[in-house]
Amino acid sequence: MATRMQVIERRIGDVTVLQLIGRLELETGDLILRDTINHLVEEGQVKLVLDMKDVTRLDSAGIGMLVSKYLTVRRAGGTIKLLHPTERTDHLMDITKLTTVFQVFDDEASAVKSFDTAPAQGV
Amino acid sequence: MLGDGSGFDLVLLDIGLPSMSGLDVLACIRNMASPPLVIVMTADDTSATLLEAVRRQAYRYIRKPFPPSAAVEVVSEAGTPASALSIEVVSARPEWLELVAPCTLEVADRIQSFVLHLEANLPEAVREAVASAFRELLTNAIEWGGKFDPNRKVRISCVRTKRLLLYRIADPGEGFDIDKLRHAAITNPDDDPMAHLQVREEQGLRPGGFGLAMTRSLVDDLIYNEARNEVILIKYLDEGE
Repeated sequence: MATRMQVIERRIGDVTVLQLIGRLELETGDLILRDTINHLVEEGQVKLVLDMKDVTRLDSAGIGMLVSKYLTVRRAGGTIKLLHPTERTDHLMDITKLTTVFQVFDDEASAVKSFDTAPAQGV
Repeated sequence: MLGDGSGFDLVLLDIGLPSMSGLDVLACIRNMASPPLVIVMTADDTSATLLEAVRRQAYRYIRKPFPPSAAVEVVSEAGTPASALSIEVVSARPEWLELVAPCTLEVADRIQSFVLHLEANLPEAVREAVASAFRELLTNAIEWGGKFDPNRKVRISCVRTKRLLLYRIADPGEGFDIDKLRHAAITNPDDDPMAHLQVREEQGLRPGGFGLAMTRSLVDDLIYNEARNEVILIKYLDEGE
């Protein structure tokens, strides 16, 4: 039985910051991420920042869920931005060409502030 | 002291004990009628010790020194002795490790942990690349070939020479047709890295499909057999790695 990924949720204004802690992998973190974001979208929370610094392992299922939920949130009129990806996460996003999809930030304040200016884009 | 072992679900076992080897203790434990799971922890990270631990059905392996969180993670991931599935050791030579294992994610985690420790002396970047690629191919084999069925088996070989690492994974499935992989990211146009997700949604597949694209970028060669139910990945090593 794999360790469950933990998600710590915080609100900064109308932006929700989700700190992901643990393994974002098949049948573990991917399902937790799906359920967490689905719930937020149902509540109308669609400005999301995912803090990735404590993601210890990431596989293709985890990446797949990130992208799938990105599309879910875009369809609901919001977006997901990534904060503090580790070098390993950065590399995996790069080789899957997803660096062109997600906006990535090194500090939380900039990530949150970016929602003030970011124009809405189509999916 | 453990008696018949029936009072314990899990043992954290050091190898360097004052009066006998932990490996001998492991053998004694495994001979019990209802053996607990054994997590081996040691500073002795030679492949001979690790392979002997694998051969004697250690559940997991932790290299010392380790932070307390690592022990907590491994212990919390452990199931019960009754639920732990056996991994058959076909060959446990440092140059050739070969295992036959049930198709479950729990077993995949255990195998990955052992294999990663075998490659402990490689540069971090090489280890991470190989670990990610191996993980993707193994979970592919277990999910698509083995359908997460513990009664079906996946066969894993890890061959190491001075100049290369070679992993071969054979799954019990029927293979796949590379021309019908529209649900995989490798078929995406360059300017649309998410195109395959629409196909996956239509086909009712879970989000994903990035495994092959990732693996191709992480290793030097990726070779499938004709049916595509066996795969070899190769990572070449610089001299001295």
